[in-house]
Amino acid sequence: MDIPQDNSIVSPQTFPYMVAAFASLVGLGLIVSVLRGNHGTPDGDEPGDAFTPLNLKTMAIVATAIGLHVILLEIAGYVIAATVCFWGVAYAFGSRKILKDFCISAAFALIVYFSFSKGLNINLPSGFFEGILK
Amino acid sequence: MGNNFAMLLDGFQTVFTPTNLMFGLIGTLLGTLVGVLPGIGPALAIGLLLPITLTVNPTSALIMFAAIFYGAMYGGSTTSILLNTPGESGSVITALEGNKMAKAGRAGAALATAAIGSFVAGTIATLLLAFGAPVLAEFALTIQPAGYLSLIILAFATVGTLLGTSRLRGLVALSMGLVIGLIGADLQSGALRLTFGNLNAIDGIETVTVIVAIFALGETLYLASRHTMIKASVLQINGKAWMTREDFKRSWKPWLRGTAIGFPLGVIPAGGSEVPTFLSYGVEKALSKNKDEFGKGAIEGVAGPEAANNANAAGVLVPMLALGLPTSATAAVVLVAFQSFNIQPGPMLFQTNPEIVWGLIASLFVGNFLLLVLNLPLIRFWVMLLKIPSHYLYAGITTFALLGAYALNNSTFDLQVALVIGVVGFLFRRFGVPITPLIIGAILGPLSELYFKRALQISQGDWHILIAGVFPKVIYGILFLVIIGPLVWNFKKQFAVKK
Repeated sequence: MDIPQDNSIVSPQTFPYMVAAFASLVGLGLIVSVLRGNHGTPDGDEPGDAFTPLNLKTMAIVATAIGLHVILLEIAGYVIAATVCFWGVAYAFGSRKILKDFCISAAFALIVYFSFSKGLNINLPSGFFEGILK
Repeated sequence: MGNNFAMLLDGFQTVFTPTNLMFGLIGTLLGTLVGVLPGIGPALAIGLLLPITLTVNPTSALIMFAAIFYGAMYGGSTTSILLNTPGESGSVITALEGNKMAKAGRAGAALATAAIGSFVAGTIATLLLAFGAPVLAEFALTIQPAGYLSLIILAFATVGTLLGTSRLRGLVALSMGLVIGLIGADLQSGALRLTFGNLNAIDGIETVTVIVAIFALGETLYLASRHTMIKASVLQINGKAWMTREDFKRSWKPWLRGTAIGFPLGVIPAGGSEVPTFLSYGVEKALSKNKDEFGKGAIEGVAGPEAANNANAAGVLVPMLALGLPTSATAAVVLVAFQSFNIQPGPMLFQTNPEIVWGLIASLFVGNFLLLVLNLPLIRFWVMLLKIPSHYLYAGITTFALLGAYALNNSTFDLQVALVIGVVGFLFRRFGVPITPLIIGAILGPLSELYFKRALQISQGDWHILIAGVFPKVIYGILFLVIIGPLVWNFKKQFAVKK
């Protein structure tokens, strides 16, 4: 780390070292605790409940939808990114009415886009629709 | 005292302009709307709605926030009663008895006692806040940096160890929050810390991004991981949302007792609304003449905890406004809302921005009243929201959360951060790690470093200053009791089991 020339009494490294010490201490404690069989109780379960296996498929689709939103936002614009994301998450959670979902997703994205850019003056990337969506 | 009363009247004058009243009204509606949606608690509701206020002037925006704050709490209790999916820990108890009442066809009475109880508790607690916070702020002006540091460390300890089922996991969450708080340029020297050469990280990680991502994205991923096709059923309300004379008789004492339990536990950093609502439930159960009804839908079991929850939320605002120390996730988001307008809550706030503080306090009264008037008649509309299919709900929450993370700085970097923190939020839920300590750590970490450095600058580097004087000693004494006390208690329990 570059430490700028400083004449303060406490170095900018002091506090981070203290945080690091604390984090290492509780981290080690947690490792010991988990090795001793205390695995933690998933949110919403009672201690001792049987473990619900992860639904990796649903998770993967949700994660992909969020990832696509991040990637598409500045390339394709907000409306496309949000439509894809909304539609993907709805699909992940079991909705199979593809066309209806698409319409709802697009409507959601358009309403958000216009209420933010027109109503609140917060500019969202317009992407491919530049010039069309004003 | 008289002066404060005059200031409060000025505050009401600020609120009662058409523009500000309108923002208050919009805030109550938006807050209830978002709060009613299952899985969204007050902290996330305010976090999601933060971008909306970016373009509004500070006073109006904060008035809107006060309204959203109470609105989200009201909305949350409606969901707990009708759907049995509490959006935050404070509504868990409400769901317990309230949902049983609804199943027995007494949803109207449960909703009414929750709404009126919240109003009574909110009004009394806001009065206590209005006259208590300035006194605390005045005292706080005499606290030295070392004393502040001790207060923050006490808040860390209570929030870290009192929440959730595992004390160790609470502290792990806290340490992760502290690390997040370190990211970016050091405030005094400008040294870059944990930025790893990324220019976007110089300004640090936005707290709103952390909150929105860890709540909304983390929760969606977690629900996805446990996704099965079971549908929760929304219970219907038969007749009006109102109470009989008998219900009133059984409710008014629990309301007052709930307020008496909730407010003080909010003022001292006792770690969120879990403890007071559970305590209030226990008290009502012990005092009730209808003990056999508890667990089957006792109105006292809704009235008391609901009042305690609201009084607690107002109580948490006392240290938030007077000391600048948030001790719950919700208070943390309100603090961030202040900071986004470059206003730093704390002892000076009452002197530097009196019109904003008193406007905010007055709007808490007004918002609370608007909710009482609006909510019971509008209840059927709110119930309609509960019928939104869950897949659209999660889709909407996810998309809106990403928007919240992006709109703050128009930066994709914030979105990438949100994605990472969303995964952390998922892992936290999966392994039973509480979330609030992380948020408190991320917000108060930089503040604690600031006071730490100030203290050592005053003493020219002599570390003894950290425990000099009466105040830090008292606070560290309390800290010792808070940490050691439960350990002894635990040891005793284990010993008893072995016998």
